[in-house]
Amino acid sequence: MSPIISERAGAGAGADCAVSTHGLTKRYDRDVALDSVDLRVPDCAVYILLGANGAGKSTALKLLMNLEPASGGTARVFGLDAAQHGPEVRAQTGYVPERHDAGYTWMTCGQLLRHASVYYPAWDHAYAARLSDALELKLERKLGRLSKGDTRRVQLTLALAHRPPLLLLDEPTDGLDPVVRKRVLALLAEHLADRPTTVLITTHHVHEVESLADHIGVLRAGRLVAQMARDELQRTVQRYRIELPDGWEAPRDLVVAASRSSRATREVQWTVVGDEREVTDRLTTAGARVRDVSSLPLEEAALALLPVETSR
Amino acid sequence: MLVNLDASDARPLYLQIMDEVRRALVVGTLKPEDPVPSVRELAAELVVNPRTVLQAYRELEHEGVLYVRRGQGTFVAPDVQPSSGEQRALALGVARRALLEARRNGLGAEELVTMIRELAAHEGEPASPTPVATGGTNA
Repeated sequence: MSPIISERAGAGAGADCAVSTHGLTKRYDRDVALDSVDLRVPDCAVYILLGANGAGKSTALKLLMNLEPASGGTARVFGLDAAQHGPEVRAQTGYVPERHDAGYTWMTCGQLLRHASVYYPAWDHAYAARLSDALELKLERKLGRLSKGDTRRVQLTLALAHRPPLLLLDEPTDGLDPVVRKRVLALLAEHLADRPTTVLITTHHVHEVESLADHIGVLRAGRLVAQMARDELQRTVQRYRIELPDGWEAPRDLVVAASRSSRATREVQWTVVGDEREVTDRLTTAGARVRDVSSLPLEEAALALLPVETSR
Repeated sequence: MLVNLDASDARPLYLQIMDEVRRALVVGTLKPEDPVPSVRELAAELVVNPRTVLQAYRELEHEGVLYVRRGQGTFVAPDVQPSSGEQRALALGVARRALLEARRNGLGAEELVTMIRELAAHEGEPASPTPVATGGTNA
């Protein structure tokens, strides 16, 4: 499938983008984890980077943080080259890593928060206290003895409490129970209301974060196959109910992401990627009758762009 | 005001929020000069992007349904006429969805309207004294 990258989001060199990458590539020996990726995360967007496990989502965030060197291409965060200005980029970023491992295993949670508060000039003590209340942090407990979910809560507090202009959240709700998950997302919504913030969230659970999203990118085996604004995605991936004449064959290059059909009624339902008028015209010209076209909820539209076997 | 969003609804979230505010006005749970929740509160409650709530409020402000009192928040306009404007806008949305569903089932507008009237009569609903969404709607 050829990539569907929005011209609106991809226009120019990404001057008004908080995060932009050009041909960003990462190879581990012979494996290509990221293959010439051009991310464009507009300023103050909530951008969901979607992909199956191993699609390259975490690698992308690590390269943005300059925690690993890129094999090719560049990454810019607020105009700074991440490879040249790693510390400056990290100082402006709240990062929740993929791994549930906050380091400093001998410290208690409370000690780690005090430790972090000294490192970030913008650390908001009142907000940190509010977050640690809302997330019920076990302040007296040593980090090495925390469960996966409890570590996640600490990582989220560390990422948010210095109110950085950029949040890079790698599966932020991983390991959290459903109640806490919802609370975290509500806190994130409040956070965005209080301070303009650009957020890049990676996930394979799009339904959890879709209501916050205004931009979507889809990674497939290291390649960015889609990148666009939310409303554009819903206009580009639509469901068509079609009546087919006997022995009909679909136009060859039609991108059908999902299909259901019933032989008995000669009716098929296709999720097709493309401009509605163009798709309808082509189907009609080919002799099919388009009964109706409907938009999909964001999650379904996004999942249609993932390979079938990993779309859940 | 209770706002419900439907994740399976393909309509943009800000439109859903706008309709929920209209619904609250029409059923009377929201009255002129009532405050509406702040953008921050509603965004956290619905777990949506605050910009989505802001967009819904701005559109409603533009339509004269809401207004902003500086430093105090957003309120329902004093002269809002739920029984005409808002009810009509809501009715239009419901009708549009019903019509789409009818067409999907191979039915025309007339069949749908006739069936709705029959059904309403059967369920004992009196004929509407002030028809809101009629006039020139012959399909």
